[in-house]
Formats: sequence, C-alpha cells, structure tokens
Amino acid sequence: MKEQLYKREVWITIIFTCLLMLFGHFASIFVLFPGLKGGTMWGFPVEYIVPILMGWFGLMVVCIAMALVCNKFDDDMEAFAKSQGQEVMSDKSKGSV
Amino acid sequence: MENQIAISNVWVGVVVVAILFAISYTIGWWSSRMTASEDDFYAAGFKIGPITNGLGMAATWASLATFLGVIALIAKLQVPFVYLWIQWAISIPLLTLLYGTSLRRMKAYTPAVFIRARYGKGATLTIVCWMILIMIMYALGQMIGLGQAFEMLFGIPYNLALVISGVATIGYITLGGMYGASYNAAFQMVIMTIAMIVPMGAIMKSMGSSGWWFPPLAYGDMVPAMLQVLPTFFDMKYDFRWYFALIPAFTLGPVALPHLAMRVFTSSSVKNARWAVVWFVLFLGLLFSGTYTSGFAGNFFVATTGQAIAKADQTLLILNVFYNPVWVAAFVMGGALAAGLSTIGGNLMAISGLVGNDLLSILAPKMEGKTRMKWGFAALGIGGVIALLLAFNPPKFLVTSILWAFGLLATTATPGILLGVWWKEANKLALIISANICGVLFICISPYVLPNFVVGKGLSAALGMSGGMVTVPLSFTLFILLSIIFNRIPALSSYAPALEDKKVIDRIHGWGNYDENRYNSITWPIVLAIICVGISIWGLQPWS
Repeated sequence: MKEQLYKREVWITIIFTCLLMLFGHFASIFVLFPGLKGGTMWGFPVEYIVPILMGWFGLMVVCIAMALVCNKFDDDMEAFAKSQGQEVMSDKSKGSV
Repeated sequence: MENQIAISNVWVGVVVVAILFAISYTIGWWSSRMTASEDDFYAAGFKIGPITNGLGMAATWASLATFLGVIALIAKLQVPFVYLWIQWAISIPLLTLLYGTSLRRMKAYTPAVFIRARYGKGATLTIVCWMILIMIMYALGQMIGLGQAFEMLFGIPYNLALVISGVATIGYITLGGMYGASYNAAFQMVIMTIAMIVPMGAIMKSMGSSGWWFPPLAYGDMVPAMLQVLPTFFDMKYDFRWYFALIPAFTLGPVALPHLAMRVFTSSSVKNARWAVVWFVLFLGLLFSGTYTSGFAGNFFVATTGQAIAKADQTLLILNVFYNPVWVAAFVMGGALAAGLSTIGGNLMAISGLVGNDLLSILAPKMEGKTRMKWGFAALGIGGVIALLLAFNPPKFLVTSILWAFGLLATTATPGILLGVWWKEANKLALIISANICGVLFICISPYVLPNFVVGKGLSAALGMSGGMVTVPLSFTLFILLSIIFNRIPALSSYAPALEDKKVIDRIHGWGNYDENRYNSITWPIVLAIICVGISIWGLQPWS
C-alpha cells in the first residue's frame, strides 16, 4: 500500500505536469504539425483560437481534474497514515517543520 | 494623432484614481485590524478562501503590462506574443502541483522558508539574494508603469506622477500586510477585468463587430478585414525551438516567483489551494483573452484608419479615447492602475517576507516573532521606496529586462526548489555553486552586459529566451551531477543532506513515516541531467 501510494503520487505529478505543459503550450502543436493549420473556428484561424481556448478552458478542466485527483490522494494518504497510527503534517499542524 | 497622451478632462481621472485609492486604503485599514501575528502579516493567517484567492492570484500575476506593454508587444510581434502570454497561465497551477501544496502544508511564508529547512543558511542567503534582486526589478517596472499611468491620466510630469503614485501605493500596502494585499488584489482583479472587457465591447461595436457582446472570444467576424489590411497578423513566424524556448525561461521562471507562491500559501487549506487555482485560471483567462482582443483591435485600428499610434504602450487608452466617452477612458486607466497596484502589493509582500522573515531569522535568530514582524513592515516600506527611487532615473538594463529576469529566476531558484522538494540527494553546496555560476552566466550571455558574448539575437536574446534555454537546463544538470559527486566525498560531508533534511521532504509530501527509498533515485535525475545537456546544446546553436 505504502509503495502504491508513492508510485501514485509520482505518476499523478508527472501526468499533470505534462498536461499543464501541453495545454499551456498548445501553439507548439501547430508548429510541430503544420498540417493542422488552415481551418477556421468562430471565424478565427484554428492555430490562433485553439491555443487561447486550451490555455483557458482546457487548462481549467485540467486544474479541476488536478484538484479532484490530488485532494482524493491526500485523503487516501491521510487514511493510510492513520491506519498505521502515524501523525501527518496537515493544515491543522502547528508551525513549520 | 493629437492628444495621444493625456485624458482631456483631468478631473475625471482625479475622481477615478481618488475612488480607487480610497477603497484600497479602506481595505488596507480594515485588514490591518486583523493583523496580530506573523502568520497574519505574511500569510493572511492562512485563511483566504478559494474564490478570493483565485482572484488575488490572478491580480498578482496580471501586472500593468497586461494593459500597457503586452498590447504594444502584440502590435510589434503579433500572434507569437499572444502564444507567449497564454503560457503564463500555467505558472501557478504548476507551482501548486510541484511544490506549492507541500510548502503550504509546512506553513511556509515564502519559498525561502523551505530552502532554509532543506538546505540551511548558506543556500538560503544565496537564493534569497537572487529573489530580492528579481523582486526589486519587478517592482521597479510596476512603479515606472504607475508613474506613466498617472502621467497619462493627469498630464503631469513623470517625476511628480511617480512620487504621488509611489507614495500612495506604498502607504496602503504597508498598512494592510498580506490580509490587505489579498483582499485588495481580489477587489482590483474585479476592477481590471471590467475595465478591460466592457469598454472593449463598445470599441468593437464601433469597429463594426457583431461580437461586441463578448469581446474576449467573439471578434472572429473582424478577421477577414484584418487579413486584408494586415495579412501577416496570424503568422506563427518562428520555428519550433522558439516556442520550446518559452518553457525554460517563461514557464519555469515564474514557478519560483515568491509573490506567486505566497498567494498559494495564504490558502485556508491545502485542498482549497488547489481549488483556488481553478478560479485563478478562469479569472486570468478572461482578463488575458481581453488583452489579446485589445492587441487585435489596436492592430485593426492602425491598419483600417491609417492613424499611427506613436507610443504603442498607450494603445488601449487611445482606443478608448477615440471610441468611448472620457470617463470610460479614465476608468480603463483605473483598471491599469489596479493591475499595477496588485502586482506591486505582491512584490513588496515578497520582499518583506524574504527580508523580514527569511534573512532576519538567519542574521538574528534570537529575535522575537513580533519584532521580526515590525522589521517585515519596515522592509515592505523600504523595498517600495528603493523601487520608487530607482524609478526616477531607472538603469536601462533594469527597465528593459523584467521578462528577462524570469530566466534569471529559473536559472538560480527553480532547480533548488523543485529538486529540493522531490530529490533527497540534492546537496547544499551543489545548490550554491550551480545557482551562482549559472546565474552569472545567464547575465553574461545576455545582450545587456557583453554585447559580443551573447547567446541568440534580437528579441529572443533580449527576453532571455535563448540565454535561458542554455543556463536553465545547465543549472539543473550542474546541480544534479555536483550533488551526486559531493555527497560521495567524505571531506564535503557537512554539505550532504542530513537525515533531518531528508525527513523534511517526506513530511511535506504528507507522509507519516520516513522511508529512505522515497524521492531518492539516482537514475531519473541522471536521465534528466542528460536531457538537460541536450537542451543546452540545442540552445547554443545559432539563432535565426
């Protein structure tokens, strides 16, 4: 369980880092694959409007998923620590380390 | 164009600014009554809820440049600068994911609190000094912008405008501490969003767009006309390396900005910090999309009317003076002021935390918390006065280099924070050496110091993109390799991470026990170092 939680934490971090990078730098996709250019959406060239939408609503969806997944992970971590009789550093802990 | 600079009726500007500052001072005064401890002063008592914090994060990040500089740079660079700006939005989500919640868990006031717990005093002094330098540069840029905004609003000389705006600003920020900075930033974000979006709707209507009802995304019907008069506007212009170079300098730099991290730390809980990030993306996306519309409208205006805008920084004001009543133009400038005020608020709070808490706890470890808080107030005011004094006759190097400074921060501070949180082998001496060598190298290969020894050219070099693509990965590589080597030299054992340092890592990740094997791989950091070497070499190739 301990090992699984650790791996989960690392994978969550890697996956969300990649997603944030992808959505924030979506214009690079159109540079890498120029064939995707040429279409229009709402009157704009896709290579203009899609990076704006991805950097706003797309990123928001990623952040919502991040909040849900990471908060669930924190709960699992705290539950595991409690099951082991361990104390964890939480919002209620006094002072810094 | 005539009357490009000032609003014709000065009194309208006076009323707008007076109301804005009156509200800011009221919030500051009200907040000061809640400030009784260091937790209150530096972290708003760790009590800011997600929506307020999301607004505050967006306001702190969106500076005066959102209203002035960006629109000018969109006019110059066109669409590539829009892409550059879009990626700023991942800064706070990324810092929250990679270290923000871990440091919030330890109740840090600034990232340097973690640096001290993890690496000790020497490394903290190094990182804090780099951070303070960058925060002063940042605050200086905002101070100059505020002076210019007052100059435009009232038509008064720059120096006088600077004194009035500077003193008024420093006063209300010093009054309220982090509570004041947080609530004021939230209020200012609302003002700046309305000021950016609503008048732009009226401008678009006058320009003949049917999408005036939602300026951020509904101006597609203006595109054919735009392409007729300015066919290059949507060209991506640069190769893939230019877009990749945004990552080291402009994505990884802001990740270590202390005033952004401090907004995450003020959250009422770790979970709320993550929800605040969602609100941040929503609010910032709305404002930034309005900025892109303004950049588009500025180019459209110049191309279709044939009227040149002498000072591109003033595009938004000029569009409003041209199309809207004078009080609307004054309100838009009020929005620009709000953007500057909220960012300076964040900058000064960061300087205050870095000096009042981090430096003093090293230089005077026995000082009581309340006394340190008083020094924090003093540092806040003094930081503001230094930025104000520099703004009278700003060194050219500092003025042109605010974006460039992000690359410097990515080189000096980001590796120490990220590897410190995720890698137990990270060594204290390795951090000091890699941060200083690569930081100095970043400065040396910029166009500002040795013109014949520059990596990249033109805008890529001026913005620190080409330099950052060399020094940021180099800093990671040097830090990783030196850490591995130093940890295995017995004579340097005092710099190796002690058990207590390693325990910090497990605790801030939320573990209840200590496990030596966690966050302690050698293979993956070496893989990262090899990738970084490749990126550095790529960055050293000639730039077109």
